[in-house]
Amino acid sequence: MNNSLRRKLEATFKDIRIAIPEDGRITVTAENCSILAILRFLKDAGFEHLALISAVDYIEDNEFELCYILTCYMQGRDFEGKDLHIILKTRISREDPNFQTAIGIYPNAEPYEREIHELFGIKFEEHPRLTPLLLERKYEIPPFRKDFDTRKYVNDLFDNIPPVEIEEK
Amino acid sequence: MRELELYFGPQHLGMVGNFSITLKVEGDRILEAAANPGYLHRGFEKLMEYRTWIQNFPMVCRINVVEPDSMEMVYAMAVEKLAQIEVPERAHFVRSIYLELARVGSHLFGLWAYANMLGFDTVAQWAMYHRDLILDLFEELTGGRVYHIYIWPGGVRRDFPPGFKDKIVNTLHSIGACVPDYDSTFFNNRLFYERARSIGQLTQEQAKQWGATGQTLRATGMPYDVRKVEPYAAYDKVDWDVPVREDGDAYSRVWVIRDEMIESVHMIFKLLDVMPEGSVYNRIPNPFKWKIPKGQAYVRCESSRGELGLYMVSNGGDKPYRVHFRTPSYPNGLIILEKLLKNASIADVGNIMISLYVVAPEIDR
Amino acid sequence: MDRNQITKWIKAPAKMANKYSLHAIYFCTGCGIIEVPPVITARWDAERFGVIPVATPRQANLFLITGYVSVKTLRAIIRTYEQMPEPKYTVGFGSTHLWTLIDKDMANGYIRYRENYNSYRRNQELVLGELEWPPLFLVSDESQGNEQ
Repeated sequence: MNNSLRRKLEATFKDIRIAIPEDGRITVTAENCSILAILRFLKDAGFEHLALISAVDYIEDNEFELCYILTCYMQGRDFEGKDLHIILKTRISREDPNFQTAIGIYPNAEPYEREIHELFGIKFEEHPRLTPLLLERKYEIPPFRKDFDTRKYVNDLFDNIPPVEIEEK
Repeated sequence: MRELELYFGPQHLGMVGNFSITLKVEGDRILEAAANPGYLHRGFEKLMEYRTWIQNFPMVCRINVVEPDSMEMVYAMAVEKLAQIEVPERAHFVRSIYLELARVGSHLFGLWAYANMLGFDTVAQWAMYHRDLILDLFEELTGGRVYHIYIWPGGVRRDFPPGFKDKIVNTLHSIGACVPDYDSTFFNNRLFYERARSIGQLTQEQAKQWGATGQTLRATGMPYDVRKVEPYAAYDKVDWDVPVREDGDAYSRVWVIRDEMIESVHMIFKLLDVMPEGSVYNRIPNPFKWKIPKGQAYVRCESSRGELGLYMVSNGGDKPYRVHFRTPSYPNGLIILEKLLKNASIADVGNIMISLYVVAPEIDR
Repeated sequence: MDRNQITKWIKAPAKMANKYSLHAIYFCTGCGIIEVPPVITARWDAERFGVIPVATPRQANLFLITGYVSVKTLRAIIRTYEQMPEPKYTVGFGSTHLWTLIDKDMANGYIRYRENYNSYRRNQELVLGELEWPPLFLVSDESQGNEQ
């Protein structure tokens, strides 16, 4: 079950690290260049549902970590036992973050990547529509990065609005 | 004919929640639709990094206004997984009953929104009234009608008060006695059939490709439910079925909602029969100075709209390092809605949107 | 009797008509919207006070601000509010709105969304000019149906 998938993955792709804890959440860490190939392999192996694309900001290591969480719809197709998830992680540099888009493999990756671009500043090449999804203003540092100080931003912006005079009748 | 750009904006009678869609129309036919969320963006995930693990519970509720209980559940599950806390047996049953009551309430709210939009005002008023009876139960149990901070890592906050079990049974009987009225007025009504048949049709392949879960997927014939695939709480201790329909249009989705409500009520009666005695709470270490070991966790549960997931990263401190919710309205409202609205008519926008059960604060978080 | 007295007498029926027929606009501003359907449907019936929801801003004279207001919503609110005819009233609804009304000096932002970079903190400055002011009218989540 887990082991056959693990052996297949390790046979096909070099230099990836796989960790399998008991709860069925397989963590696969890989390099940037092989992520799309791994995604295609996993989709053909039965993991058809892309649940989430997330990004974590590790400011001490000066890197972003992108996570793809994949699950399968039908239990018991290739695997028996507990329901398996795959958490696929990769690290990209924080200075000039660029990555390829996963829309060709999973069409529902589009809004997740759009949101990550807006909130973290990571660019996805060949994405059809990288326009702002949730935010309205322009921020010099994308808001979810760890060096964006929200308290300072809120104090500067909202407390500089001059009070309004309400006329007495 | 010329193209025109219309704003199906936040102030609209067919819109539930603060959400807007930009439509490009030609006559009555929609050529292209672009969803425009962000009216309720509060940056929860960033705000949660400034608050300790326990202080985050009141924030977690407010992400989904219609059913805040599944949010609390998934956050508590993630914290328990990272900190390796065990939950006593009775707490599992209490949590299941609580979540199923919330599911019935949330489906009644969705029925209000849908019936109101179609024009069936009577059924909308009944649905809202019955949801209020369930909110009275919640108020007695937890003290709040809508946002109850009841699920806690390690169990639930307090046990059922004396006489509560009979109150649940009486309330559910009084709601169940009205099901024939609902059926004859709304669900079996010819007008509803004519208006919702073949609206927003999805095939199973398309639903799987676009990431749908919940009743959107179950209405296309696939019995995928997180409570069966990966049972949490006490869902594997009782016998129940997953309601499924075949066609994939708005009519099937609303019928799946009705079947789910009836199944939830039966499940609550079965759970109340087999509930064991015991404590409902395992003490956690000092919650104000609680450090959770380093790690990551992805947990999920079945909220009333689909699969709700949470990806949490902790770096050993007393505040979360990264929290990311995978909410079920995200693919529904941003991808599926845009694809289904191509070549639909303007009169059906509200119909499609509310039958997909898009709740706006979940998209924006 | 002087002119003021006569004007008051003539205006009194108009004021009473206004008081008992507030038509609320159907706009869900924030997360407090979850308590508006119970208020306007059969249980906590607001129609006995004359409050019903209407479809367009031109037919309404009551605007409900249900909770916090974000930057994007503010634009939609101002556009909708300016379309409403005089006299118009605003009601702050729900506990989230109460939190945002706290003045900066008094609480110094000890509110739930303290670090929120996307929402306004002082809702009272949203609506300007000659209005009846909402502090009399704050409806909390638990007390609708008991007001007035």
